[in-house]
Amino acid sequence: MPASRRAILAALLRLAPLAAFCCAAPGAALAAHGTTPLKVAEEIAIAAPPAAVWAVVSDFERWDWLPGVAKIAGTGGNVPDQGKIELTLDTGATIAASLTKLDAERMSLGYHLDRVDLKTLPATNYSGVVTVRPAEGGGSIVEWKSRFYRGYPLNNPPPELSDDVAVAAVTAMNRANLAALKAKLERR
Amino acid sequence: MRVAFLLALLALAQPACADEAFVTNQSSDDLTIVDLSTMKPVATLPIGGKPAGIAVSRDGARAYVASPEGKFISVIDASARQLLKRIALGTSPLGVAVAPDGGRLYVADVYGRRLLEIDPETQATRAVAVGAMPSGVAVTPDGRFVLVADRDDNALSIIDARDFARIAVVAVGRHPYGVTIDAAGKRAYTANVESDDVSVVDLDARKTIATVAVGKRPYSVALAQGKAFVANQYEETVSVFDAQSLAPLQKVKVGEYPESLATSRDGATVYVTNWFSNELWSIDAANLTVQAKAATGDGPRAFGAFLRPVN
Repeated sequence: MPASRRAILAALLRLAPLAAFCCAAPGAALAAHGTTPLKVAEEIAIAAPPAAVWAVVSDFERWDWLPGVAKIAGTGGNVPDQGKIELTLDTGATIAASLTKLDAERMSLGYHLDRVDLKTLPATNYSGVVTVRPAEGGGSIVEWKSRFYRGYPLNNPPPELSDDVAVAAVTAMNRANLAALKAKLERR
Repeated sequence: MRVAFLLALLALAQPACADEAFVTNQSSDDLTIVDLSTMKPVATLPIGGKPAGIAVSRDGARAYVASPEGKFISVIDASARQLLKRIALGTSPLGVAVAPDGGRLYVADVYGRRLLEIDPETQATRAVAVGAMPSGVAVTPDGRFVLVADRDDNALSIIDARDFARIAVVAVGRHPYGVTIDAAGKRAYTANVESDDVSVVDLDARKTIATVAVGKRPYSVALAQGKAFVANQYEETVSVFDAQSLAPLQKVKVGEYPESLATSRDGATVYVTNWFSNELWSIDAANLTVQAKAATGDGPRAFGAFLRPVN
């Protein structure tokens, strides 16, 4: 067999267990993850006072300013461990998230993605922390920090669910989120 | 007078006598050695394979580092700060522990549902089946039993070290990760990531005797001065509770995503790695205040017994 055909076969074989994983119960799929947590930190300067930025960031129930969100439904209020949101995206996909931390003193919010499909975000066990800091001149710096695992929960990931793919996707998501927040707050 | 001079010289010759922390940095693929008397990094060793688990031998001679992505164990001469060899496993190691006499290494085969026993000299290996996603590993002080946190089975496996047989499975909280045994070898503590609590296991009865609520996403437990310290990843805190009464004492604010804890030999200090903010912090175990911070590499895990005694 030529080497190239062998490589294709090997790639297909690698994909086979992945297909099985995708069909598993979403709860089980979410709980499973690998051994190497990944991190991404992004920040942006916003020309608005920290209190105004924090007012938007801390209102978890109304995170409909996130890019690509068509609809948001919240339950439990902006209370850690109780507040939950479900986002319906323009693509039709849905994301469920819960509020894990709300520290007004440090202007820092934590959340966890409870359910998101791998097509929307090729990463698992995502947790994010959004923090607002005062900047010189009365503006703000907003930092979006993420901890997550690659999309494939076992070793030997297929290329489309590798660490690099997960990092690239989360980086793009964080940048888009920060840009949307900036646009909302700097709108006149 | 001459004696005093000699003593002064000896004192000068031994600034390297402080114990050290061996911190595996999973994101930067290396190991930071921190001098615990100054809380300064003194060396960085390249490791590779996304190192996470670590076990330093009781005599401080060796450090064993588990690289789950690289599927190998690095054997390090801890005083020379040199890599001696890599043991290729063909499978992903996570938690590691070393027998009290240094003669055996115990390795969680995280995807293979096995615990491995490896002779670090000859590399002779035995395996025993355990639960799903075995993570933290610890050995009782007498070396007779090895404990493994079977993360996805919500259980703690107890293995007889001599026969290398699984002799008990103890139900604990949801997703136990780190496991810690007390100095008397009577109790084990598992940090249960998903149920936000710690299971206290009686090792004679082989039963969970108590469950203690802690903060969000607890990863590991350390014991010092009659207290248990628990690193809570999602809330930047270390929970402290009384190890006897199990009553909560305090939460100490620490860095971002605290992960692994270890106690100094004299019990005075507890150290915690902060995975996101890339630091090792020291906490005074008596008054529960933060003492000092040391910079590490990127993504410090130090999952296991990461302090090295220097005599």
